[in-house]
Amino acid sequence: MSSTINQDIASSISSARINKEKRFQIYGVAALLFAMIMLVTLFITIFSKGLSAFIQTKVNLDIELTQEVIDPEGSRDLNVLKQANYQKLIDDSLKLYALNLFDKDEKELIKNLRMILSPIAYLELRNLVIDNQDFIGKTKKVSFIASDDIDQYFKGKIDMSIPEDDRKITDIQEKFLDDLQSKGQINKVFNKTLFTKSDSREAELSGVLGAVIGSFYSLLIAGLLSIPIGIGAAIYLQEFAKKNRITDFIEININNLAAVPSIVFGLLGLAIFLNMFLMPRSAPLVGGMVLALMTLPKIIIPARAAILAVPESIKQGALALGASHMQSIMHHVLPLAMPAILTGIIIGLAQALGETAPLLMIGMIAFIPDTPLYITDPATALPVQIFMWADNPERAFVERTSAAIIILLFFLIAMNSIAIYLRQKFERKW
Amino acid sequence: MTDTGIVNISSFNKLKKSKNIKIKAIIKNLSVFYSDKCAVDNVSMNINAREVTAMIGPSGCGKSTFIRCLNRMNDVIENCTVKGSILIDGYDIYHPKIDEVKLRSQIGMVFQKPNPFPKSIYDNVAYGPRLHGIATKKNDLDNIVEESLTKAGLFKEVKDRLNDTAIGLSGGQQQRLCIARTISISPSIILMDEPCSALDPIATAVIEELIENLKKSYTILIVTHNMQQAARVSEKTAFFHLGKLIEFGDTKTIFTNPREKQTLGYITGRYG
Amino acid sequence: MYVVIAILLFSFYGFYLGKKKSANLVSNKVSELHSTPIYHGYYIFLWCFVPSLIVLISWQVLDNYLIKSLVLNLVPGFETLDKGNINFVFEKIKTMATQETIDPFFYDEQLIPASKKYNWLTKISNITLFTVILSFLAIVLVYVKNKIQAEFTARVYVEKFIKTILFMCSVVAIFTTLGIVLSLLLESLRFFQSVSIFDFLFGTHWSPQIAIREDQVGSSGAFGSVPVLAGTLLITLIAMTVSVPVGLFSAIYLSDYAPRKVRTIMKPLLEILAGIPTVVYGFFAALTIGPFLRKFGESMGLDIVSESALAAGLVMGIMIIPFISSLSDDVINAVPQELKDGSYALGATKSETMVRVILPAALPGIIGSILLAVSRAIGETMIVVMAAGMSARLTANPFEAVTTVTVQIVTLLVGDQEFDNPKTLAAFALGLQLFLLTLFLNLFALKIVQKYREKYE
Repeated sequence: MSSTINQDIASSISSARINKEKRFQIYGVAALLFAMIMLVTLFITIFSKGLSAFIQTKVNLDIELTQEVIDPEGSRDLNVLKQANYQKLIDDSLKLYALNLFDKDEKELIKNLRMILSPIAYLELRNLVIDNQDFIGKTKKVSFIASDDIDQYFKGKIDMSIPEDDRKITDIQEKFLDDLQSKGQINKVFNKTLFTKSDSREAELSGVLGAVIGSFYSLLIAGLLSIPIGIGAAIYLQEFAKKNRITDFIEININNLAAVPSIVFGLLGLAIFLNMFLMPRSAPLVGGMVLALMTLPKIIIPARAAILAVPESIKQGALALGASHMQSIMHHVLPLAMPAILTGIIIGLAQALGETAPLLMIGMIAFIPDTPLYITDPATALPVQIFMWADNPERAFVERTSAAIIILLFFLIAMNSIAIYLRQKFERKW
Repeated sequence: MTDTGIVNISSFNKLKKSKNIKIKAIIKNLSVFYSDKCAVDNVSMNINAREVTAMIGPSGCGKSTFIRCLNRMNDVIENCTVKGSILIDGYDIYHPKIDEVKLRSQIGMVFQKPNPFPKSIYDNVAYGPRLHGIATKKNDLDNIVEESLTKAGLFKEVKDRLNDTAIGLSGGQQQRLCIARTISISPSIILMDEPCSALDPIATAVIEELIENLKKSYTILIVTHNMQQAARVSEKTAFFHLGKLIEFGDTKTIFTNPREKQTLGYITGRYG
Repeated sequence: MYVVIAILLFSFYGFYLGKKKSANLVSNKVSELHSTPIYHGYYIFLWCFVPSLIVLISWQVLDNYLIKSLVLNLVPGFETLDKGNINFVFEKIKTMATQETIDPFFYDEQLIPASKKYNWLTKISNITLFTVILSFLAIVLVYVKNKIQAEFTARVYVEKFIKTILFMCSVVAIFTTLGIVLSLLLESLRFFQSVSIFDFLFGTHWSPQIAIREDQVGSSGAFGSVPVLAGTLLITLIAMTVSVPVGLFSAIYLSDYAPRKVRTIMKPLLEILAGIPTVVYGFFAALTIGPFLRKFGESMGLDIVSESALAAGLVMGIMIIPFISSLSDDVINAVPQELKDGSYALGATKSETMVRVILPAALPGIIGSILLAVSRAIGETMIVVMAAGMSARLTANPFEAVTTVTVQIVTLLVGDQEFDNPKTLAAFALGLQLFLLTLFLNLFALKIVQKYREKYE
């Protein structure tokens, strides 16, 4: 008898149903797999393109720092030193190196070879001489930043098989560079420029410092405004607000604002902050204010949930001891809800850090080679810098863009890790 | 005090604790409504000083709501309206000029589930005195904490770990800590809302013993669904049913010779 | 500066006074007081600090306007100056008045009387402000001090003040919405003065660029928003076709099928996808996906442009996957276990339970999340700015380049400061369109989700 029952059970789940079940599961795995492949592709793309930007090619040249060119009278006057023709020294050095390689028209040749150094090579040399005045009259090995094309060439990113007219490196440059390399005068170092300089038209001279500071100021303003206002609003709505129309209206507003496209906040900033209140354009102050408005609902919603999660009994215990409603919140509810509120704040601010569109609207998209000092100085922000660099067709900027993205992701991951740490450390089960 | 027993509230600051008062509280025609629902229906009774008064009745009969009127904890709940009057030491506690926050510092309350603050044992007891500025010096505060914990019969067990978190205590200890917290600000009345319902029998016995000791200096109102407990600890018992006060009198009389049929039905376990 | 110091000094003194006096009243037996001494301190502090701060700020604002108008009246030929010049002249006067410069850039003989007047006015204004605030503070101290009594309910007042502040915090949300609506509406109205609303809503030709050359014939440009909107919807549709099935199946798999380990690893990974800034997705779309699709199309014999709607839509879809999966996950988990148990008890398989029981029960919630995702896709800016095209083309072909509302807003506004030109104003009209579209979607979706939650809570 028992065998027939078993057969019954076995046949009751038909193979069609089993297949359907399996198919369903496969869909799920495929969906996840698709998402993960995209995530991995994205990261691989960014990192494969961007990591090389953290390395910079340097060209080391022996330069004869002749007294006649730098300081013919030997006065060591700073103005004289500043105005000397350092380009000539570099040219002379290049000529020396090229002497036994080429037999070309000199002017054309030098023009060609100058291009391997960055346009500020003479400034690098000038600063070196001013800082080390005893070098004058001697021959010194000086390390110059290579121009972006040369940098790309040594990173193997320039295809030398295409015709000379179509590529960035001329045959002369190639021959010259290969000669320098064989003499050991090309080396690769960690790219400090990327972190110590701001934007520049020349890829090899551009860095993210200005953008990072702009982002920092914007985020600071956004945090200073949105954190107290957000927590205050959450306390009011969760603890004091009576159920009435105004409260409902506020709630609908907050929920909706959380889903309003960020660019609309940018339009608000443009029309109200810039055109009505005449605040400075491109300033992190305004950027921060716009980001604060955008972040506010993203702080309020989790903060309310955190306050709600604190058990009523604790508040009642305080009330029964003669604490006022406000005291019971400030002494007990808020401190207990704080870790969860902080998590919400950090996640909200991390989103604000990655936000680009509203900042474009208030003009934080401008070529700003200076590092901003005050919150009212024109500045850009890290994501906007990425956007601007991404628009740049030069190869070297693709590399920089990816590097800037890596830096941005680093900040985001750091912030989110703090949030996750807080969440896990202070997670409470009531 | 005037003829009506109402004292001018402008002098309200601290309820009296003098030994010669007999009647601590006079409740007159008290009704409580949640929105339209009547939770307590026209209740009147007098509470004697330094006695334990027990409130019994089936769940949902309004006994908890009733004692929450005495420290105006119901004010916190939206849509809750209270009618009638409660005089404590002659003060009309629902008078608009009475600050319910100040009132609650005079009338302590212990809850059904122990609700210590997630802080150290010391901070739990010290919170009230700090809040009301009763003790400002560390020394005074230490004394109050020790005294309150001793009165609550907890000091010996926790004296070596006053700075440990209160969450680590057992349920019974937590409830005694809550009692210590309550008496730390020397209230004039202590309200207990089923204080033993979350505890095991041994912890319950400890608490009952504690109540016995406390009634020498405090007026205690206790809500319980455990009739034996009411019989053991109280002098007076009030039986509530569907928001109405059915019977109120000496505990002995209620349990041996109740006037009302409903009371008899409840204490003999016919319903509840 | 001195004013600020004075206010702070008085306020802190007030705090001390309140604390001290109330404690002395009851000879340090604090329990006799209604409120603890510190609240009496706060009470006086707030009375000193808040009103004087309000006076100070409003004074600064008014005083700036007043002085500016008075001073500028002394400038010869003032009436002929335009707005930008007025500000420049005023900056000049200020520099001359404050820094004795002879830099010709700032110095102007004609402005000497104005700069002298400026100096005089600021001096007068500062002295008056100082006297006003100081006398106010003194009066407050004397008057409020008398209020401190044992019965005085200082705590109640202080808490009322804090409560008001908290209320104001929550009203910021209303003001933000109001600000958005007003700024979009006012600028759009100005736009509709030059371009008819009918043309904007139903016109099928969008080429605002012409409007730059104002002196030319036909300078008004063409502002028919239909192709822009169509492009937005096309990209949104593509994004949804990618994200809805992937997101939904991920959620289903993670909530009902995946082993615990997979779940704990995959959920944070999906969250990473959600945390990546959109500008990064845009870069990814423009640099990798766009060219990849073009090459792929070439090999298949299809003509896919680099900035195709497909590339932008696909990447946007990837961005939205975690959004849909986490919302659906919540919704699916909110379906009561009893419902599932009932189905299993009848011998249904997991997938049958999912399709016949859980999904129908969770449908309103899922639709709500999808609508929220649609609203997000419509408003997404950076991906389309970087990966989609500029030209407004009315097409349903995903291989062609289309433009979107957000792309147009960015192109119209970035770098352009002239506000009287229909080209810039058009951006606000588009913004209004975008805001209203997403507003209705959001409100509708939030309502559905809320109803759904109430059903199971």
